[in-house]
Amino acid sequence: MTWIDFVNLLINGLIEGLVVALPALAMTLVMGVNRFPNAATGDMLTTGAYAAVAVQLLGGWPLWAAALGSMVVTALVSAGSYTLIFRKLAGRPMVSSMLAAIGLGFLLRSLISFFAGHDQRTFDLPLVRAWNFGGIRILPTDLAIAAVAAACLVVVFVLIYRTSFGRQLRAVADSADLARASGIRANGLMLSLWLLVGALSSLGGVLLGMKAVVSPEMGWESLIPAFAAMVLGGIGSPVGAVLGALLLCVVQELAVPLMGPSYKLVLSFVVLALVLLVRPAGIMGRVQLVR
Amino acid sequence: MIAYLCAIGIIALIYCLLALGLNLQFGLTRLVNFGVVAFFAVGAYTSGLLALQGVPLVLCFVAAAVLSGLLALPIGLLSLRLRDDYLAIVTLGFSEAVRISIQQESWLTKGVQGLPGLPKLFASWGSGVSDMAIFATLLAVVAVVAWGTVRLAASPFGRLLKAIGDDEPALSALGKDPAWFKVQVFMLGAALAGVAGAFYAHFITFITPEQFIPLITFYVWMGLVMGGSGTVRGAVFGSLLLMVFLEGSRFAKDWVPGVSEVGMASLRLAAVGLALILVTLYKPNGLFGGKS
Repeated sequence: MTWIDFVNLLINGLIEGLVVALPALAMTLVMGVNRFPNAATGDMLTTGAYAAVAVQLLGGWPLWAAALGSMVVTALVSAGSYTLIFRKLAGRPMVSSMLAAIGLGFLLRSLISFFAGHDQRTFDLPLVRAWNFGGIRILPTDLAIAAVAAACLVVVFVLIYRTSFGRQLRAVADSADLARASGIRANGLMLSLWLLVGALSSLGGVLLGMKAVVSPEMGWESLIPAFAAMVLGGIGSPVGAVLGALLLCVVQELAVPLMGPSYKLVLSFVVLALVLLVRPAGIMGRVQLVR
Repeated sequence: MIAYLCAIGIIALIYCLLALGLNLQFGLTRLVNFGVVAFFAVGAYTSGLLALQGVPLVLCFVAAAVLSGLLALPIGLLSLRLRDDYLAIVTLGFSEAVRISIQQESWLTKGVQGLPGLPKLFASWGSGVSDMAIFATLLAVVAVVAWGTVRLAASPFGRLLKAIGDDEPALSALGKDPAWFKVQVFMLGAALAGVAGAFYAHFITFITPEQFIPLITFYVWMGLVMGGSGTVRGAVFGSLLLMVFLEGSRFAKDWVPGVSEVGMASLRLAAVGLALILVTLYKPNGLFGGKS
């Protein structure tokens, strides 16, 4: 492998990392506040991608408008799932919420494949040629994906660290009882969180669909990588989720010449297991989360 | 009709065996194993591959149990350090890693083509009779395992396992080290899943990686949770209920006109998802389980 191949893989890994960072961030926000790994996050991604496909098919709209429409749809699905399912499971053993999340994932995925079929779909995008800098190839589409993902991350970070919504959210994440005692109204806050998480997942799905293809299994397949990214960064740490996703995807890409693309998911699992063994609190996490 | 019922019965008993294994891990010890299908797959492939080499089936079954159990050792050791939510995702990831490895390592497993022509159990007795013999053998195995689980749960060892599930810190405070018991029970449940896999391989006689998707794990979970985890009764009746549910939805196709085979598969998955949600919401202790 020459250094040019290396750079190409590195760039691809960074772009993938920015995309995976969105579901990882969505998961870590729910984990930090609602205290369970939302295994439906992957299928929420799929929902977002298909909602965008549907908007594009029905309205003949440009992709950015379709993406906005799908963010609204997925945010509503996400908030609905909280109201109807996860709010009622709060205080029950974590396994209940996880099983319900798996069930929700199956439900979403199967409804999608029932109405849209199992065939792969693509977004209506203009075909463009990759820019070539002496062997280092960059697709303008990839650049757009990276830019949108980065912009989205910035918006979420501003929301979390610069607004009263974020302050209240972090207060609940630190100590739900203390937050309630100091007068934070949990219900509206939770709904806003789940709306945000839904929109985030939706955009992740659209970007993932732009990078590869849209299929009913796409989100489920990104569940383990997103979880690995979250653990790698430290559960409950938004910055960690992004760093974890970038690191994981770069490692995955660099490993492709050695083991082929099929073993990416296996590598995610290995990274996950190793992190949990060696540094269970992750890069940015706090030790108190570990027994 | 009898042949159909026999086949359904065999599959139901295989799920029963898986549920009993999961009941040891989750029902008694609260170890959240979301990777049941991995041990099922390893059992099926171990036994199938050995049988194709001409190894006697009895030894194939033993090897399936041993290898699945051994595969659970690292995961069991890992489980000692993980909270249940981490363990859930790790085991889920593990099962996907196993499935992908089976799919990729075609020098050993023939990859996506799968292994056709596995020897059937009791094949020399003729096709109809052999199914009944498989059914009877499975019934005996499930009965022994169920009886063993009841005895185990009532023994000091079982009480220890329950104590691990209920209140581990208190147990440690009493000076017991729960670690080794957890690993043991994880391996035992996995070995049972391996045996279930061997039965599956030598009943269906054709296995592919596609048969070992995470959905199988959640079928087992659904059966156990529907029945009521922590009790043998719950595991057994839950798996039977699961079978009624899965097979019933097959017949439902006749009543839902205009839906294709593929569409029906989607609707079935949707029903499984909905059932998982509804059971956790409204019947957390299951239909046959006691109060927690």
